[in-house]
Amino acid sequence: MKWWKVLGILLILYSLIAGMLVPLGAGIIRVEPRRAAAGTPLVLEVTGYNSTYRNGDTKAWLKYDDQHALSPRRVTVQNDRDLRLDFVIPKQHPGRDSVNALNLILFNPRDGYSVLPSAVFTVGATFGGDISPWLNSVEVTDASTRFHFPYRNILGETIRNTYYHVPLWMAMMVIFAISMWYSVGFLRRRDPADDQRAEAFASTGLLFGILGIVTGMVWAKNTWGAYWSFDVKQNMAAIALLIYAAYFMLRSALPDRDTAARFSSVYNIFAFILLIPLLYIIPRMTASLHPGSGGNPAFASDDLDSTMRMVFYPAVAGWILMGCWISQLRARTKRLYE
Amino acid sequence: MKKFNFLIQKYSVTSFLILLCLQASQASTASGPDFMQSIGKIYVVVAVIVIIFLGLVLYLYRLDRRISRIEKRKRYEK
Repeated sequence: MKWWKVLGILLILYSLIAGMLVPLGAGIIRVEPRRAAAGTPLVLEVTGYNSTYRNGDTKAWLKYDDQHALSPRRVTVQNDRDLRLDFVIPKQHPGRDSVNALNLILFNPRDGYSVLPSAVFTVGATFGGDISPWLNSVEVTDASTRFHFPYRNILGETIRNTYYHVPLWMAMMVIFAISMWYSVGFLRRRDPADDQRAEAFASTGLLFGILGIVTGMVWAKNTWGAYWSFDVKQNMAAIALLIYAAYFMLRSALPDRDTAARFSSVYNIFAFILLIPLLYIIPRMTASLHPGSGGNPAFASDDLDSTMRMVFYPAVAGWILMGCWISQLRARTKRLYE
Repeated sequence: MKKFNFLIQKYSVTSFLILLCLQASQASTASGPDFMQSIGKIYVVVAVIVIIFLGLVLYLYRLDRRISRIEKRKRYEK
């Protein structure tokens, strides 16, 4: 067994184990009640996720905007997961809207901070007057004492899919690139072995792409509400895979192996070139549910927490190596049947 | 084709188990669902996933060996 095959296996095993076992950070999963009348006291019951409220001084704020936040009169820690916050919502609000959405922010020295956007809606607010109750600064730091993956609202534990769904796509890109490379090599040297490798890598790439789309659909069902939302990224990914499926249909439609190799090599090159606009350019031009849209690249520094990178990059490398191994086996099998 | 079905199955099981964990953790009592309470269950899930993955790796490894043997024979016969 070549070393790189073993390395691929180990990297994927690592991503499976570390990706699933590292706990998430603290989050907020329940706030009751969600509405309050301005000018009345408000008793909020808050339930956290993976929180340790008993540890140290737990602080809370209801934030209106960057300059205005309410501090609670009292914070009662019931246990590590449950808090009771006694607020008084002033009648006067900093803005002109009579209905306002306030974000709940919690801070604990061990957990770091957690946010629930639009946790409480206040109704019947008036503008102007004494807004001194709103002049509190939200003092939070990002630091928490334990190693954890980020807790994101809506995603929750499904954030771990980042280690399985995304590396498949990245590996697919590399595998298709290698396939195109062999196609180019075939057109130059006319060695049938090159064409066999091109086909083998294309089939593995298609496999990873299908798995990527299916895992994406399962994830989407949980977070977006439907398996298929006709989201631009989903549509473009489906089109890309159909183009590659057509590559195989082209091969089988042509009469002899040499013609099939020549035509499909040219098709393969165009198919790969099309992946760039389909998967990377068009989705970024429009608003999309999928991360990496509306002008933002999907893996800017904000999108991937540094703790997640520790598992994510090895997973990508592992899947690329696995893809190469599977493709190599297919290519060798094809050679044996010549 | 069989390998393809295996891989599909493996991923549906993985995703299903992840969703199951998420569902199970949300259907919990007032003291809050969380990872720490279900940490015993997550080890089982990880063990299952690792076993499935290693099973597939073993399949690939044996396939690799078989192909190598046939290739060696072909080269010898040449």
